[in-house]
Amino acid sequence: MKQADIQIPGAAKPAPSVSARKPPTTAAIVTPKPRDRSDLKALCVVVVLIFAAMEIGSWYVPDYVMPSPVVIAKALGQLLSTDLLHVAITLGRLCVAIVFSAFVGVAIGLLMGTSKKVGPYLKALVVVDTGIPALSWMLLAVFWFKDPEARIFFILTVILLPFYALNVYEGVRALSTDWVDMLESFRPSRWQMLRYLVAPHIVPYIFLTTKSVIGYAIRMVIFAELVASAFGIGSRMSFAQSTFRIDQVLAWTVLLVVLNLVIQWIATLAEARFLGWRKEAKVR
Amino acid sequence: MTNVPTPLIELRDVSKRFGSHTAIDHLSMEVREGETVALLGQTGAGKSTVMSLLMGTSSADDGTVRVAGADPARDFVALRGKLAVSFQTDRLLPWRTAQENVELGLLLLNRPRAEARERAAQWLQRVKLGDAGHKYPAELSGGMRQRVSLARALAVDPALVLLDESFSQLDHVTSQTLRRDFAEIVREQRKTCVFVTHRIEDALEIADRILVLAAPARVCLELSVSAAQRQDAACMARMHQQIERAIGGDTDDPAEADPSSFTTTEH
Repeated sequence: MKQADIQIPGAAKPAPSVSARKPPTTAAIVTPKPRDRSDLKALCVVVVLIFAAMEIGSWYVPDYVMPSPVVIAKALGQLLSTDLLHVAITLGRLCVAIVFSAFVGVAIGLLMGTSKKVGPYLKALVVVDTGIPALSWMLLAVFWFKDPEARIFFILTVILLPFYALNVYEGVRALSTDWVDMLESFRPSRWQMLRYLVAPHIVPYIFLTTKSVIGYAIRMVIFAELVASAFGIGSRMSFAQSTFRIDQVLAWTVLLVVLNLVIQWIATLAEARFLGWRKEAKVR
Repeated sequence: MTNVPTPLIELRDVSKRFGSHTAIDHLSMEVREGETVALLGQTGAGKSTVMSLLMGTSSADDGTVRVAGADPARDFVALRGKLAVSFQTDRLLPWRTAQENVELGLLLLNRPRAEARERAAQWLQRVKLGDAGHKYPAELSGGMRQRVSLARALAVDPALVLLDESFSQLDHVTSQTLRRDFAEIVREQRKTCVFVTHRIEDALEIADRILVLAAPARVCLELSVSAAQRQDAACMARMHQQIERAIGGDTDDPAEADPSSFTTTEH
């Protein structure tokens, strides 16, 4: 049907379509809000206080217990020039595991929330999984897989996946019946229901889960590398510990904290980009 | 011989119970094509239950419900594109702009995206929101949101429009303006429309026929309202009083209604 054929009696000539006019919301959301600025200020204050405490501590204890932040900074600079590949390997493992867990976890969460037949079984499986300690998975991975990459991927996936599955399941459960009734009044297919209602509704839950698991995932990947691999930040930290280089152990730790903050920041930017429609509540 | 339009909605001896509570008790009614019918009644009279039967969100325990020849609860797909609903609350999806919310129904009916965009823009213009298409629901007032909701329902060009107290959550002035705009649109488009309301003014202004329900849902009064009667303030006042009495509300001036001035059927 040609566009010109559509005419509603009484309707004036339509305004330019939405695609021709960019909503201002998208541009506005990238600009830091006052709340973001105060968060950044608080973070800077806390970091300065920690470094000050470390500096003062280094005056009173030997270097092998607490080196000065200047020494740590030098060690960090040296590591970044020689061990950048290990950083890239750790980040690569982290990204692959998070993306895979997100995709599979979201699919499982959707099935848990929408399928009456399979849902209860998947829910039971996920609940059982959450009860298994991370350490058990690490030891089992060492038994089950020879390839270190497979070990680390397996460990991260079985630990992260339930977070996505459970949060997405909660997201589906929290879906408003008002919206479901509204959409059903148009008699949609199951696929349309998923595409136009369920999928957009669970996006905030996926972001929330990702932001929540980043710190945990970094800790897990380091631990997994420590026990299961000769490459990556975890293995380098193990090497630094075995050679009594506490400055390098602390330098890696600082780097991991910075990586966590950067990834969190990227996730927050992506969240603001995709969830710009949300009106943030101000609680007094 | 006059050409009587075929009924688009037929309820025959319909009953609906929730546990021991009877919400609808042997209700029969029909709505013909092009007719605008108001369902009036107090809270608990069964108006919303009738609406849910017409929408197909629940099914009757006894009797038959037919909308465009199909059972709305069982023949789910049969009413695709023929039925649109505007609810008490706007039910706009917050992640879609006003324009995208209006496009939604059209996309669900697999209309091409360009057509959906064009049609949604026209309908937004028609409900006087031509400049607000890019705004998200959180950026719109209650009245504007309800207009978008109406545009979303009407944009799919349905044979039947159901309104479930769509103006009741708005302030008096906004409600009045929206009601007038809606009445203008349904008359102009010759849509078949059933709307539930507890405001007598809404019913008198929009409906061709008013069915007053008493609990458990049965028609206790039926009034036909013509365009000429709508211009007659005295006639409108009498109808208002008669409806109030049927509903059971108090009136300050319970003057006798003159049945000769308008068509009424006492049940």
